[in-house]
Amino acid sequence: MSELKPEISTGSRFNPIWVVPVVAVIVGLYMVIHTKLTEGPEITIQFNTAEGLEAGKTKLRYRDVDVGLVESVSLSDTMDTVLVNVKMDKEAEGMLRQDTRFWVVRARVGAGAISGLGTLLSGAYIQLDPGTGARAKERNYVGLETPPLTPAEAPGVRLTLHSDHAGSLSEGDAILYNGYKVGRIESVTFDVDKKILIYGAFIDAPYDELVNENTRFWNVSGVSVNASAAGLEVTTGSMETILLGGVAFGDLPGLPPGERAVSGATYKLNASYSDLEENPYQFRTFFVTKFAQSLRGLKPGAPVEYRGIQIGQVSRILIKELVSQRAAGAGQPIPVLLYIEPARFGAPDSEESLEVLRKSLAEGVKVGMRTSLQTGNLLTGALFINIDYYPDEPAAVAEEFDGFPVLPSIPSGLGRLEQQIGSLLDKFNALPLESLVGNTNTALATLDGTLASLTATMDSLQHILAEDGTQALPGEITDTLAELRKTLSTISPDTAVGQSLSDSVFELNRTLRNIEELTRTLSTSPNSLVFPTANPADPIPEASPQ
Amino acid sequence: MQGDTAASRHLASCHLCFKLADASLHHCPRCGEALHLRKTNSLQRTLALLVTACVLYIPANILPIMVTDQFGNATDSTIIGGVVLLIDMGSVPIAAIIFIASVMVPLGKLIALFFVCWSVSAGRLKDPRQRTVMYRAAELIGKWSMVDVFVVSILVALVHLTGLLVILPGAAAVAFAGVVIVTIIAAESFDPRLIWDQQDKVNE
Repeated sequence: MSELKPEISTGSRFNPIWVVPVVAVIVGLYMVIHTKLTEGPEITIQFNTAEGLEAGKTKLRYRDVDVGLVESVSLSDTMDTVLVNVKMDKEAEGMLRQDTRFWVVRARVGAGAISGLGTLLSGAYIQLDPGTGARAKERNYVGLETPPLTPAEAPGVRLTLHSDHAGSLSEGDAILYNGYKVGRIESVTFDVDKKILIYGAFIDAPYDELVNENTRFWNVSGVSVNASAAGLEVTTGSMETILLGGVAFGDLPGLPPGERAVSGATYKLNASYSDLEENPYQFRTFFVTKFAQSLRGLKPGAPVEYRGIQIGQVSRILIKELVSQRAAGAGQPIPVLLYIEPARFGAPDSEESLEVLRKSLAEGVKVGMRTSLQTGNLLTGALFINIDYYPDEPAAVAEEFDGFPVLPSIPSGLGRLEQQIGSLLDKFNALPLESLVGNTNTALATLDGTLASLTATMDSLQHILAEDGTQALPGEITDTLAELRKTLSTISPDTAVGQSLSDSVFELNRTLRNIEELTRTLSTSPNSLVFPTANPADPIPEASPQ
Repeated sequence: MQGDTAASRHLASCHLCFKLADASLHHCPRCGEALHLRKTNSLQRTLALLVTACVLYIPANILPIMVTDQFGNATDSTIIGGVVLLIDMGSVPIAAIIFIASVMVPLGKLIALFFVCWSVSAGRLKDPRQRTVMYRAAELIGKWSMVDVFVVSILVALVHLTGLLVILPGAAAVAFAGVVIVTIIAAESFDPRLIWDQQDKVNE
């Protein structure tokens, strides 16, 4: 029976059935390798809060296309931020740039708009803005807490507006040109050092052409009511700006349009259009000048003039700084902060002009440029500061006060007059008036005596005149004069005496002429006394050539 | 109890019509089907299919079995993830059913079949009855592990509210169906008579 036993082969012979697991393994391996190869980069985004973010669920999107998935959400080591790990798709790797921005899209209700309503049902997602920078190997990003208002690649121009007054602007507020919305405020920050508000503004293309170097920006938020003798004037912007605030811009009449603005240009944001009309210039440089005289009547805003042309204004009187620097002593001059705007006298309204101005003023100080206080209004006593050249002044030493260059000053106006009168009075005081008065008194007493004797003399003279002899004196004088006339008539030329006298005088004249000739000859040739003199030939007149 | 087996009398049963015929004949005299004493390469076939099932079991558990697209926000769920979710929701009995049907049953079946195969090839068959019970159990419950695939298929067919809620099958559903099908084939291709063949040898 044993030969009937079947041969059961469990042997090692290759069986085609093994192809099945091998294929399964190959397919599995292929899938794993494919997944690994197409795996995108993993990035970490830092947020303040993980609100709405779920690991494995929250998507990373660009233009509403999924380009990644949140892998994990964790706290940073210092526990103050949230680190969100995002696995990006392979094809989205090119979107990671140096300035790539990330923010969480949630439902937001702002004054201007409601956004992200779709996320109420679908949940928040992370939005990505690739930016325009160079591709980066950077894998750690800091996410924005609020969505940027303008995509980085949007055409237009980005400007910085700075303002030193409390504004009612916030992110997203409109920027208007003639009432038409052409841009928006993107960011609001406060510079603690300079104590100014800095707004980031974006003007969409093609309206960015409207912005040039001489463009001015002013706040049109809310309603401006101005009551004056002319009536009630209400100024408003668009409805949106009344409710939300906004910024208008335009060219100032009278200013030529400058170069087209480039991204990053800085402008001053004026509080209102009327404020702009008062202060149309953007760039100013500050100086300090010190006065050792009364500043009563010198108000902030008082003009600073150069020979009668206003070039700037008084900013304020730095009395606090003077005290805080412990420099306030007896007779210490009081510093006054003033600013000069180069655009007021035709220079370009730019930073370079300020530099030129500072240099030229520093030069000017060396050759006698001085500030002086002048009376602007005799009734109110308002003062202004005048800048002029006084070549006689000695060269001044350049100094600084509180970081501002100091312009030396000279006393002038009423102050100068006062000083001059003072010095005059001093001289007057120095006069020896006491002794002078004493001397005068003595002199006057002597004069009294003299006058008394004069009166006596006059009395006796009157006596003499009243005598008969004196009375007859004029008659005798008349007789004497008649005698004299008679005597003189005897020596007239017709008489013999007169003839001989006339001859004698003629002789005398001829003698004198001879002597004169002799002396001349002697003076030209002294040797003629000893040697004979050759007489010069008679001059023969010549005919002038025809 | 011990007696002659068909094999010991050199008789083979037809796979198709179960006619007992002489094993030396190559074809069934009744239906003409190829005649084998035992299922050909039974052990190798079973082992190969078991290995395939093991390979498929990995993606079946790692990849999402179901994708729920709710308001455009897709959520993936794996088998284990679904079980954990159900436990979190407090539905422990349902979680238990899914866990048993989707994890324990296929895994138990794989282990049981591997063990039986190993027993046969290594000749460790002290208790052939136990091995047979094990095999029968594996064959029986294997079919029921398709529950998961059925649930996904039904959900996909029923929940199709485009834009609001859409359920899509994940890659794991295919892999899982593969695991179940391959293990069923593996169980079928195993010849339980091999267990007793060893017993006969021992007895001889």
